[in-house]
Amino acid sequence: MNYPDVTQIAVPFFIAAIVFELVWILTKKRGGRYETRDALTSLLMGAGNVVVTIVLGFVAYGFFMFLWGLTPLDLGNSVLIVAICFVLDDLRYYWVHRYGHRIRWVWASHVNHHSSQHYNLTTALRQTWTGTFTLMMVVRAPLILLGFHPAMVLFVGGLNLVYQFWIHTEAIDKMPRWFEAVMNTPSHHRVHHGRNPRYLDSNYAGVFIIWDKMFGTFVPEIESDRPEYGLVHNLGTFNPLRVAFHEWLGIFRDMTQSGISLRDRVMYAIAPPGWSHDGTRDTSDQIKIKHLERTPEDRDTPGFNMR
Amino acid sequence: MPLPILLVLVVGGIGAIALVLHMLGLSARRVFANESEAGAVWESEFPDDPARQVILSHDHHAALIDTVQGQRGIVWPMGADAAARYLIGATIRKTGKGLNIRLPDFTAPRISLRLDQDEADKWAKTGGKRR
Repeated sequence: MNYPDVTQIAVPFFIAAIVFELVWILTKKRGGRYETRDALTSLLMGAGNVVVTIVLGFVAYGFFMFLWGLTPLDLGNSVLIVAICFVLDDLRYYWVHRYGHRIRWVWASHVNHHSSQHYNLTTALRQTWTGTFTLMMVVRAPLILLGFHPAMVLFVGGLNLVYQFWIHTEAIDKMPRWFEAVMNTPSHHRVHHGRNPRYLDSNYAGVFIIWDKMFGTFVPEIESDRPEYGLVHNLGTFNPLRVAFHEWLGIFRDMTQSGISLRDRVMYAIAPPGWSHDGTRDTSDQIKIKHLERTPEDRDTPGFNMR
Repeated sequence: MPLPILLVLVVGGIGAIALVLHMLGLSARRVFANESEAGAVWESEFPDDPARQVILSHDHHAALIDTVQGQRGIVWPMGADAAARYLIGATIRKTGKGLNIRLPDFTAPRISLRLDQDEADKWAKTGGKRR
């Protein structure tokens, strides 16, 4: 069975939706902000991601076809199996995304998606160029070994990404209550993009927010603490090459510095972002602790009672 | 989707959106209303070392920061937003329009500041060292 490349098919929709959101913001005078260079960088990152997927897509697909050759299982292509694959792949997405924030090696690829200080539909397209190098494709291995065809797995993964496009907006405040309870929404994902200490390392969901609720990483959007977007230390450049590769260079420099142990070198790659051998930087956990020292009244409020 | 069509859509779409945004006036650089606003940007980046003194440029587009830990930093516009960095290891050079600051930082390698000549002189003298 042939599955379409839904992310490529969705490109005209992406462009039309961006124009619609922009017109909405300009006419309603609310619902987000646009800035030329920020949007241009996001769009160039998205275009680069399309190019990289075309050029390096064979690596993941070759790996998946290798696994497909190993497994004796074949669940077929019924609608029910596609639906089950979609849900399981969303669980896979949750964990890859969580690793993407908790393991610096994976963060190096994902950081660019969080590097905009804006939150609009162009931010959704600010995608990685270096995902292949994280080797997170291995997290899809169980699906294929269980008998879901690689083409199906990639198809539902594409649907997942297309779903996530529309939640990158401030134009929508809250969806109906039942929807907010089950699905990832603009409100939940704004929290994920927040650089406020409260919102760090939360709401990793792709489509179903239930994963965050199950695994203890859900934080609701708090009216009195509106998300501020971007990185803990925001970039001082719009250059897409610097946006795409800065954290990889940071890892390389940290790992190759003199006077540290082999363990420290490894930790600079696999520890959470912000880890340092001499404690001169802060991880998100340390940022939260320091925030509570400055603002003790936030203790035991959402985002500060997860661990 | 055939590759040539995808290419036209992507390149044309990006170019058109960027052009429209620029023509709508959405390329304007951030203006800091006052010292407090620039200081708040600094503090949100470096909460452990807040601003002790903020010197706002005459056009309100940048600020020189003295921190409580005795360091010197800079806040400058990133489009409609802002970035902040310590000036440790900075090379500061006067230009016809203000200052050019080079930092040993891959994520903020060069900062071009538009400053009046007198403040450019002052910032160039004091920028790298604590008064």
